[in-house]
Amino acid sequence: MALVEVEDLVKHFPVRGGILNRVIAKVNAVNGVSFTIEKGDVLGVVGESGCGKSTLGKTLIRLIESTGGSINYDGVDITNLNHRDMLPFRRRMQIVFQDPYSSLNPRLTVRALLKEAITHHKIVAEADMEDFIESIMLKVGLRADQKNRFPHEFSGGQRQRIGIARALALQPDFIVADEPVSALDVSIQAQVLNLMMDLKDEFGLTLMFISHDLKVVEHFCDRVLVMYLGHVVEEMSCVDIHENALHPYTKALLGANPINDPDDRRELTVLEGDVPSPFNPPPGCPFVTRCPKVEARCNDAMPPLVDKGEGHRVACFVVND
Amino acid sequence: MKPKFLRSRGAKKFFRSRIATFSLVVIGIYAMIGSAVLFFDVISVDDTLQRVGPDSTPMFGEQSLEKRLRDVDFQLARLDTALNKKPEDVEPAIAELALAERTISTKPREELSAEIERAWVSYDTLAEQKDEVEFEAFDAKKAELKESGVEDREEIQRIAGNAADASVAELVASEEFVSSLAQLEQIVDDLYAPLTGWSAKLYDLRRSMGTDRQGRSIAIRAIFSIKIALQIGVVTALLSVIFGSLLGAAGAFYGGWIDHLVVWLYSTFSSIPSLIFLIVISYRFIGTEFESSLFPVYVAFCLTFWIGPCRIVRGEVLKIKELEYVQAATAVGFGKFYILLKHVVPNTMHLMFINFSLLFIGAIKSEVILSFLGLGVKNQPSWGIMIRDSAPEVVNGFFPQLGAATVFMFILVISFNILSDALQDAFDPKHVS
Amino acid sequence: MSAQRNAPILQVQNLTTSFRTDDGILTAIEDVSIDVHPGETLGIVGESGCGKSVTSKSIMRLLPTATSILSPESKIMFDELNLAHCSEKDMRSVRGARIAMIFQEPMTSLNPVFTVGWQLDEALSYHTDLSKSGRRQRSVEMLRLVEMPNPEERLDEYPHQLSGGMRQRVMIAMALCCEPEILIADEPTTALDVTIQAQILKLMEDLKTRLNTAIILITHDLGVVAQVCDHVCVMYAGRVIEKGTVREIFHTPQHPYTRALLESIPKSGRREHGKRLPTIEGVVPALNNLPPGCRFAARCSIAEDQCIHNEPDLKDHAFSGRPVRCHIPINQTTAAAGSKGQA
Repeated sequence: MALVEVEDLVKHFPVRGGILNRVIAKVNAVNGVSFTIEKGDVLGVVGESGCGKSTLGKTLIRLIESTGGSINYDGVDITNLNHRDMLPFRRRMQIVFQDPYSSLNPRLTVRALLKEAITHHKIVAEADMEDFIESIMLKVGLRADQKNRFPHEFSGGQRQRIGIARALALQPDFIVADEPVSALDVSIQAQVLNLMMDLKDEFGLTLMFISHDLKVVEHFCDRVLVMYLGHVVEEMSCVDIHENALHPYTKALLGANPINDPDDRRELTVLEGDVPSPFNPPPGCPFVTRCPKVEARCNDAMPPLVDKGEGHRVACFVVND
Repeated sequence: MKPKFLRSRGAKKFFRSRIATFSLVVIGIYAMIGSAVLFFDVISVDDTLQRVGPDSTPMFGEQSLEKRLRDVDFQLARLDTALNKKPEDVEPAIAELALAERTISTKPREELSAEIERAWVSYDTLAEQKDEVEFEAFDAKKAELKESGVEDREEIQRIAGNAADASVAELVASEEFVSSLAQLEQIVDDLYAPLTGWSAKLYDLRRSMGTDRQGRSIAIRAIFSIKIALQIGVVTALLSVIFGSLLGAAGAFYGGWIDHLVVWLYSTFSSIPSLIFLIVISYRFIGTEFESSLFPVYVAFCLTFWIGPCRIVRGEVLKIKELEYVQAATAVGFGKFYILLKHVVPNTMHLMFINFSLLFIGAIKSEVILSFLGLGVKNQPSWGIMIRDSAPEVVNGFFPQLGAATVFMFILVISFNILSDALQDAFDPKHVS
Repeated sequence: MSAQRNAPILQVQNLTTSFRTDDGILTAIEDVSIDVHPGETLGIVGESGCGKSVTSKSIMRLLPTATSILSPESKIMFDELNLAHCSEKDMRSVRGARIAMIFQEPMTSLNPVFTVGWQLDEALSYHTDLSKSGRRQRSVEMLRLVEMPNPEERLDEYPHQLSGGMRQRVMIAMALCCEPEILIADEPTTALDVTIQAQILKLMEDLKTRLNTAIILITHDLGVVAQVCDHVCVMYAGRVIEKGTVREIFHTPQHPYTRALLESIPKSGRREHGKRLPTIEGVVPALNNLPPGCRFAARCSIAEDQCIHNEPDLKDHAFSGRPVRCHIPINQTTAAAGSKGQA
C-alpha cells in the first residue's frame, strides 16, 4: 500500500535581482516529479549536487512550499493544508539532516530538545516524560545519563544519533533522511547506517533516503530514484543495480564511483563537462550536454518516464526504443 | 543556569585572561558604588552642591603661600559678616557657614569675635608686610631704571614687577613669614568645632581631590557621577539592545514587508548625523516636565543606538534561519513565533552581550558630549557637567576637576572596552570551536 | 607502479607537530615517517582528526608559526635540505616551485576578485623569469594541460564564473605551472561530485605519468585510494599505523583498524544488500585525552592487556616485512575485503 504518492511535483525558486529587486529568473529545482513510496519501503534518491534531491525531500514534508503538483500522504492530500491541519502530519513525517553541527540548536540540551517536541504533540503524559526520553536515547545508542548535555559535548556521529532521536520521539511512520551519513567518517557512517536499519525494522518505518553516494544507497535502499537537474531520469530496484541500470546518466554515476579494489582498476567513466546551470537548462533532455548516446531528438523534448516492467522506469529516448 | 554558564567553554576562556578578570573587578566596584548611590542615597544631590572648603584647593601638593593667605582672608571675612548680622540672624547665618561635617565652634559668640579680631590683626600684619616689601622693591627698581636712562614705560613696569615678585617670594619663603602664617591658620582652624572619628575621615575624603571654584568637593561629585553614568549606560544600552535586536530578528526572520520596514527604518535613522539628532531630541524636551530628569537623555540615546544591534542581529538571524535546526523545528510543527523566540533569538545572545558593552561605552561618552553642550544632564553633576564646569578653571591652570572626571570616566570605559573585547573573543563561535 | 623504485625524493622522518592551545600543548602528529618516490602516488588515509592534513601542512610549513611547533628531531629531507628547520627564505624557493599543493575547497582557494589569468600570471612571475607574453602563453598551455575547454577565454574569467570542477582544474594548473617535483593534494575531490571527481582523478593520473611528478594524495575515501595510489600510509589519532603498497593494504591488511575500516564500507551486489555493516564501535580518542597504550585499543576487537598498557612501535612485521604498529597484527591472508562481492 502506498504511503506517499507524489504527482507532478514542481518547485521553482524565484531569482531576484536588479535595482528593483524584481523576479528576473527562476530556478527549476524540482521539475514535475512523480513517484510513490510503499509502506515499509526505503526509497533512495541519488544525484549530484544541485539536482534537486534535497529540495524534493523538503518539499515532500512541506518544509518548502511546492509551486505545483500534489502530495498525498496516507490517502490525504496535504499539499495545501494550513498550519493547524498539517500538525498531525507533521508528527507522522520527520526529517534527519545532513550536517550534525547545524542541525541541533546549540543552546538546548538533548533532554530539552526532545521534551519540547514531545510536549508539543502530547506524545506521552508529563509523568512518563523522563522514562520516554531515556528509552528513545537508548534506542538510538546514547546513554540515558547524557540527556542533560549540550550538543557540542557530543561527537559528530553522536549528534547524528540525537538528530535521529528527535525524529523518532514523535513516533513518525515516515522519515526523510537528507544525506544523514555524508558528513561522517567511514567507520561512523557504518554505525549510523546500521542504527537506521535496525530502527526501520523495529518501528516499521518508511524512509526516503537522500544521498549522493550510490554505494550507500545501493546497500541500504529498496528502490532508487536517480535525479538530474530537477528531473527523475530513472527509477529502479536497488538489487543488482549495476546490471539493470539503463539510463546513460545512471551508468555514468555507477562507473564514476571508485571501487575499493586496487586490482579492479578499470577506467573510470568520465563524463565530459559539468552539470548545466539550472538557470537555463537545455530545452530537451537535461542530460543532453554530457550524454554519450545523444541523438538529435534529445534536444527537442524531455523524454517521458517509460515503465520497463517491475516498476523500472527510464526517461531516455535511446534506451526506450 | 548560572553555574552552567560559568562552566561553559567561553566563560573559562574569558576568565583565563587576567586583564579581563581585572577589568570585571573594576566594573564590579563601579557598579557597587553606583548602586549604593542610586538605591541607598549614600550621596545625595545636595552633597554634591555643598561647599566643603575654600575654592580651588588642589588634589595634592603645596598651595602657594599667597593662596593660603587669601583663603584665610575668605574664611575670616564670611564668619565676620555672619557675626555682625542682626542678633536674631546670627545663629542661622553661622549654621550656614558649616563646611559639610565641619561646623563652626560652639564657643560663646563674644569669644569667637575676639578670636577673629586677633586673627585679623595677625592677618593685617602679614598682608601689610607683604605689600610693603612689594611696593618698596617695585619703586626702588623703577627709580634705578629711570636713572640708568630706560625710556620705555612698559619695559620699566615689567622689570619692576618682576623685581617686586622676586622680593615677595623671598619674603614669603622666609621662616618668620611661614611660621606666622601657620599660626594664623591654626587660629582660623580653631574657629571650627574639632572633628573626630568617622566625621574627620569623611571630611578628609571630601577634600581628597580638592575643591572646585565654588568650594564644592570634586571627589563627591566624581563619585556621584558614577551613578549617572551607570544609569544612562545600563538603561540606554539595555533598551537599545532589546529593541534593536528584536526588531532586527523579526525583520530577518519574517522577511517580506516587515523586513523592508526594519531596513528602511534603520537606514533612515542611521543617515541622520547622530550628534545633531541627539541635540534636536534633547532640545525638544526643554520646557517640558521631563526637562530636569534623565528622560530626554534616555530617549535621545535609545533612538540613535538601536541601529547597531538591529543591523548585526538581523544579519545573524538571516544566517540562523537557514540552519537545519530551525527547519527541524518547523518539521516538528512549531509555530513561527515560537521558533523565533526559542530557537533563533537565544542564539544571538552573544551578539547582544557584545553590543551591550559597546553601547554602554558609547552612551557614557555621548553623555559627556551632550552635557558639555548643556543639553544632557541637568541639576546634578555628571562627568560631562564637571568637564564643562572645569573650563574656566583650566584657563587659570587648575586641573583637579577636569582630571578627576576624565580619570573616572577613562577607567570605566577602558575596563568596558577590555571586557567587550574579551567577551567577543570568548563567545565568538568562530573562536570557540 | 615501477617494479624498481627510484630513490625517494622526499623523506619524512620522525615528524612530530604540536599545537599550543587553550588546553595546553597538544601533539597532533607524532613520529610520522614517510618516503615519497618520483612518479608514484602515496596515499595518506585516515578519518578526520587523524593528522593527515597536519602532516601535509607540516611538510609545506603552512602551519601558523605562532601556535605550531615542529619537534627538533623532525626531519623532512628534500634534496639535501631539511624543510623542517630550514629558513623561511629557503622554504619560499621550494614551496610552490618544487613542492606544490592543492586544497580541498576549490571555492575558497582562488581569490574571487582576480581573473584566472591574473592568478596564474602572478604565480608564474614569482617563480619564473618569463616575459609577460611568455607567461600568458604558458598559462594557456597549463590550462590546456589540465584539459580546460577554451583555455584562452577562461583566462579572462573570474573564479565565480567557473564550476567547482573547473576551479579545481585551475588550482591544479597553478600548482603545476612550475613543474614541481612533488604535488600534495589535500582531499582534492572531497567537495566535488562523483562524475567531476572521476574527471579530476583521471587528470591527476595522466599528469603523473606525463610529468613524472610524485603525488601525495590525502583522502578519507578508500575507493579513491584503491583507484589511484601506489603506496598507502594509514594514520590513526596522529600516528602512522600501517604502510604498504596499495595491494598489500587492501588485500592483506595487518592492522585491525585498517581491516575494520575496509569492512565497514557498504559493498554492492545482491548478497550484501541490506545486511548489517561491520562497524568500529566508539570514537577516535581526543588528542588531549590519549590512552597510555595503543590508541586503537579501546575500539579494537582483538585488543589484549598489553595493547591497553603499552603502545606498540611501528616495526616491520615478520610475516610480510611491512611496518605495522600493532602487538598482534593479523597474520593470515584475509580474503580481500575490498573486492568481495564486487561485480
